[in-house]
Amino acid sequence: MKPILELKNISKNFPGIKALDQVSFSIIPGEVHMLLGENGAGKSTLMKILCGAYQADAGELYYQGEQIEIHSPSDAKKFGIAVIFQEFSLVPYLNIAQNIFLGREFSGWIPGTIDHSKMHAEARRLLDSLSVEYDTYTLVHTLGVAQQQMVEIAKALSQNAKILVMDEPTAALSDRETTLLFEMIHKLKAQGVAIVYISHRMAEVFSMGDRISVLRDGQYVGSADPQKTTPDELVQMMVGRTVDMVYQKNFISKPGAIALRVENLCSSNGIRDIHLEVRCGEIVGLAGLVGSGRTEVARAIFGADPVTSGRVEVFGNNRVGEPFHSVELGLSLIPENRKSEGLALIRTVEENIVLAGLKKLFPSNWIRLSRSEQVANDLITRLRIATPSGKRPALVLSGGNQQKIVIGKWLSTESKIFIFDEPTRGIDVGSKSEIFSLIYKLVQDGAAVLLISSELSEIVRVCDRVYVMREGTISGELSGDLINEANVLKLGMADV
Amino acid sequence: MSNMHILSKNLGYRNYFQRIPGVAMMLLVGMIFFGILSKDFLSVSNLTNIGLQSSILLLISLPMTLVIMTEGIDMSIGALLTLCGVVMAYTLSVTHSLPIAICLAMCCGLLIGLINGSIIVYWKVPPFVVTLGTLGICQSLALVVTDGQSITDVGEIVQLAYNGKVGGVAIPLIFSVIAYFVTYFLLYQTRFGIYVCAIGGNRESLNLAGVRTNFYHLAVYAFSGLMAGVASILLTARMSAGHPTAAIGMEFDAIAAVVVGGTSFEKGNGWLLGTLLGVLTVGVLRNGLNLLGVPSSVQVASIGLLVLVALLIDSMKMKS
Repeated sequence: MKPILELKNISKNFPGIKALDQVSFSIIPGEVHMLLGENGAGKSTLMKILCGAYQADAGELYYQGEQIEIHSPSDAKKFGIAVIFQEFSLVPYLNIAQNIFLGREFSGWIPGTIDHSKMHAEARRLLDSLSVEYDTYTLVHTLGVAQQQMVEIAKALSQNAKILVMDEPTAALSDRETTLLFEMIHKLKAQGVAIVYISHRMAEVFSMGDRISVLRDGQYVGSADPQKTTPDELVQMMVGRTVDMVYQKNFISKPGAIALRVENLCSSNGIRDIHLEVRCGEIVGLAGLVGSGRTEVARAIFGADPVTSGRVEVFGNNRVGEPFHSVELGLSLIPENRKSEGLALIRTVEENIVLAGLKKLFPSNWIRLSRSEQVANDLITRLRIATPSGKRPALVLSGGNQQKIVIGKWLSTESKIFIFDEPTRGIDVGSKSEIFSLIYKLVQDGAAVLLISSELSEIVRVCDRVYVMREGTISGELSGDLINEANVLKLGMADV
Repeated sequence: MSNMHILSKNLGYRNYFQRIPGVAMMLLVGMIFFGILSKDFLSVSNLTNIGLQSSILLLISLPMTLVIMTEGIDMSIGALLTLCGVVMAYTLSVTHSLPIAICLAMCCGLLIGLINGSIIVYWKVPPFVVTLGTLGICQSLALVVTDGQSITDVGEIVQLAYNGKVGGVAIPLIFSVIAYFVTYFLLYQTRFGIYVCAIGGNRESLNLAGVRTNFYHLAVYAFSGLMAGVASILLTARMSAGHPTAAIGMEFDAIAAVVVGGTSFEKGNGWLLGTLLGVLTVGVLRNGLNLLGVPSSVQVASIGLLVLVALLIDSMKMKS
């Protein structure tokens, strides 16, 4: 059958990163095309190009054989491309019909008014065609995630979508809801809708996919037929082979006493039964897919989220309560979101870098500016933060330098345990390697490091031991020679 | 999948407490409370009086509901109401023409509303800051126009707008009913209403749907200003004067009425009937306390208390 949409040699660059590099890809009506790749492989960039949120730097798009260009979301709609992101585009306090036809309401006889009955009848017809029974007057915020997903699908269909792109649609669904979604997908296939389906779950890749394509580091690796391939082969395609000098480690870790021990930890944000320990002088990785609960573990250990059961021991002391207590015990967290959680962006580099250490520096609560400036400037030199002066606001610095400030914050508290949550996200290669040499230095000085990262190559090259998370709990531990990308990926993906 | 439907029905039958909105409960409790303490309270003339007194508050609380639904706020509305009243009284004293005075008062309201909206929408300044700024400006302008004195030379005819009756119904009540239904129509029967809800609920998706979001967002503030102009007619009529501090702090009552009525500051969750009930609750409270001889300085505290109790009831309902 002829493809409805073809992408040829699509490239997209962001400063310092080739997000997509000459990707070619085609979609055939009535097929479910599975799209696989590690975090950061370029899947979401590709989706955004399809829906018109981004524009490709190079390459061509063909719609039913004719070359087209997509400049805006409304262009994408014109060609019947609808994208359902993981974060929904619904308005919580409007009802189902109003959401389906948002921006395309049926007019009543007075200009500007709405023909409610027609809108609800039309919505009813759409929902019926999907065999969904909800009342079209139901407010969307009262619906469950799966039901909202159905509304999204109905919304896409109401725009006569011929190409439906879904980003991990089952990530938030229960088994029963997943079954329902799959039934729906079968129906859409039968109606000739082409579906691009992004997934991390091997079982559904094989049960639902008609064709599988794999992306890696922004490049198209290849396609596979689900009948003929195996999960291992796919993992191999996703991991590939790239050698990276960034993580060059020229010392051997000498793990010492246990610094951090976590037992049976459960928290209100969905993680359960977390057991882990980190020794002085070692780097322990916490791997897993985005959304598997890694950040939540970090926050629970640090006391930023309430712990419902289990315990966290820091050098044998039981940690209870708030982050305040964690810092007293020598624990520190370098959060994933440096801009919102790590920095006071409009304050100066100096002010940011001494923020966490003020209590240690000035136990009497009186701040001597000269002393704090001196400490800040020592850290700026030590971390080689590129700023013309310590008086510049943190927001003008590059991502890598901002990250160094966040790390510097904890150096002045004399922390002994560091939890790094995605320390190199959105950072150029040069700063990456500097940040790792910093981490190595900490470890050689006897600190304990827990490193959360989505980049497998990072985890594999840097860590002495690795815990892998899946769906809110730890699915396995790897050490020594067993730490390789394929093993980490296998433990991280469900149903392999 | 239809079991969710059944579920909500079951809840309803099992728990009446859940179904009655906090504001209705408070209005009822307030009526009973003051009815017992003061025998004048439940008389027809006093209840009509509450309606009259609440009309101005209702006229500015209705647009406030829409503004809050867009996750914004209009702090300037009390000062703007004052300014419009002063403009109206001043025009009357100069021209002695009621139509021109009404027209200018409404233009003044609309203009300030458009200024508020433009700065908020196009320069992306937070609504609180912008309207706090215009609050100060309007207040000051009102003092400048009047030179700090009341303008009493407004003629006799204007009083009719507050004291007059059409077909046996007091004119402020007619204003209230029309304003309520116009706002109701805008909110629930037009595109504008859906977009108001969507601006607060998910602005990004509204943009992606190809809607001119900025235009509708601006219109909300323009509507708010215009309604302040309309309300100023009643205000001037009631006092038969233009006073430079007439409606100082009225935004407090309006925001309280909206919040008590169950409109939330997040996600475009609003309820217009709730605002009507909220306005009446505030009116009952003020009137009842007046009858009991409670000084007005204490009344402000009681409205603050009302807001807290309303939110408490709603959060208790969430838990139960």
